[in-house]
Amino acid sequence: MREIVLQTKQLTKRYRDFTALDHADMTVYRGDIYGLIGRNGAGKTTMMKLVTGLTEQTEGEYSLFGKTGSAAEKEKRRIGCLIENPAFFGSMTAYQNLRYYCFQKGITDLKQIDEALELVQLTEVKDKKYRSFSLGMKQRLGIAFAVLDNPDLIILDEPVNGLDPIGISKLRDIFRKLSQERGITLVISSHILSELYAVANRFLFIDKGRVLKEVTKQELDLECSRCIVLKTDDTKKAATILESKLNITDYKVIDSGEIRIYDESAKPEQLNKVLVLNDVSISGIGESGVSLEDYFKQLVGEVQS
Amino acid sequence: MINMMRAELYRLTKSKSFYVFWIGSVLTFLISVIYQSPGGISFGAPLDYSDDIKLDIVQTAMNFTFYFFLIIPVFCIISSEFSEHTIKNTITSAVSKKKYFTAKYVFTLVYSLLSFLTVNILFYIVNRIVNGENYSSPIGEYAKALFGQFPLFIAIVSVFIFLAFLFRKGAAFNAVTIITPIVYTTVSLVLFGIGETKKAAEKLLSYEISTMISRLAIGCTDSYRAKCYIGCAAVTVLSFVLGYVLFTKRELE
Repeated sequence: MREIVLQTKQLTKRYRDFTALDHADMTVYRGDIYGLIGRNGAGKTTMMKLVTGLTEQTEGEYSLFGKTGSAAEKEKRRIGCLIENPAFFGSMTAYQNLRYYCFQKGITDLKQIDEALELVQLTEVKDKKYRSFSLGMKQRLGIAFAVLDNPDLIILDEPVNGLDPIGISKLRDIFRKLSQERGITLVISSHILSELYAVANRFLFIDKGRVLKEVTKQELDLECSRCIVLKTDDTKKAATILESKLNITDYKVIDSGEIRIYDESAKPEQLNKVLVLNDVSISGIGESGVSLEDYFKQLVGEVQS
Repeated sequence: MINMMRAELYRLTKSKSFYVFWIGSVLTFLISVIYQSPGGISFGAPLDYSDDIKLDIVQTAMNFTFYFFLIIPVFCIISSEFSEHTIKNTITSAVSKKKYFTAKYVFTLVYSLLSFLTVNILFYIVNRIVNGENYSSPIGEYAKALFGQFPLFIAIVSVFIFLAFLFRKGAAFNAVTIITPIVYTTVSLVLFGIGETKKAAEKLLSYEISTMISRLAIGCTDSYRAKCYIGCAAVTVLSFVLGYVLFTKRELE
């Protein structure tokens, strides 16, 4: 069984009459690149602030590396964070800023500063003052800070915000490197689904403080990919005919009344004809499939309705 | 907590305000040594002291200047964390809010008071070397005058720390800390001018910060000293507790 790194149970945050996060459940496993998706003000940052201790929950609880309460507090040392915008001392250089946090975290091996700066490609500007950094450089220094202590979990809030395409691509490479080479679990929030889709393997959709859906990348692909949706009361028989008569193996039985066929050569009319001829009653057949953005809009729309 | 303090010391040495504090305070004392005359700021009544009190102790009585100098380290150590929003980096990964406040409080207090002592002792040494015994008291007398002010400076720095956590914004912190003694003296003087409130105003003026600093150095009644120390202890404890509760309960923006 995969180790749970971070889990929230019914996590709620209220500010007087406003509920920023409403009974949110989330499970992050070791090795995940976990995408937290939602519009601005959906509750992503609140979720991150809660699990990093920047604010306290009104209800519910969270566990870090299997520990809750004050024990979880101690596990915070195993987390690297970048919440909202990166923030460092403007009058200090990139190296000095990281050196300051090395002192704070009790890191004595200063090679870790150079390694972190190298990872985010800031070695050449390490002696430049932070206030003269571009937004992309600031974001990358924020990530260098997050990886400084070789954490087991990194939480990044909207790290691609305001970056140009090249900057975003560079960050994406860094995320993959962190996950693949260092085995770090990442939780990344964004309001741009396509950006997260490119790196994450699991997703949590959140809107108006409520969790809408938690899906894996495979599930998301299935939900979004073009397919033929077949409605029948005998999915078992229909599946057998699909394989034996039509040589279709790329399909998925969604529930007792629905089959989704992903085989690109399949045609609805032909499917309907063959199934009916083999005594399978069809209550509906049609093409489906949405883009990532439309899928997200649909999810949000569900809540609105 | 020790790690946090080491980090703060590192950061302090990288900031301009560190040098402003040391250059400013050393320069003030050097001028006094060179001109063999006490110098500094005082809002209270002119110093009334006998001629046998030597330059070093009279200079100690002018230590109100340090009220303003000590705003600098508090601003640099605490307010800058809020204005640069770097506080979240520490809270999210290194320490809890409770430990953060305690470490900041202890470090700011220790650093500020050690700086205050160091500059004063440096002044004593330089003055003794340059101006000789005619302008310099025995070390015991000097220590009595200097350490007599210590509880007051602990209270002052403690209140500064509380205000830094209360206001968070550097501008508000600076404005309030700088203006407060001026407002206090002005109100006291206005009350002094009104016949019915003259007695209350006299009382207020006798516990005005620069007056307390002078009297505790040059000499005062035991009862006055005791009242000052009790007041300082109360203010120190209260500002620590209020600051702690305020910071740990309030949301970080």
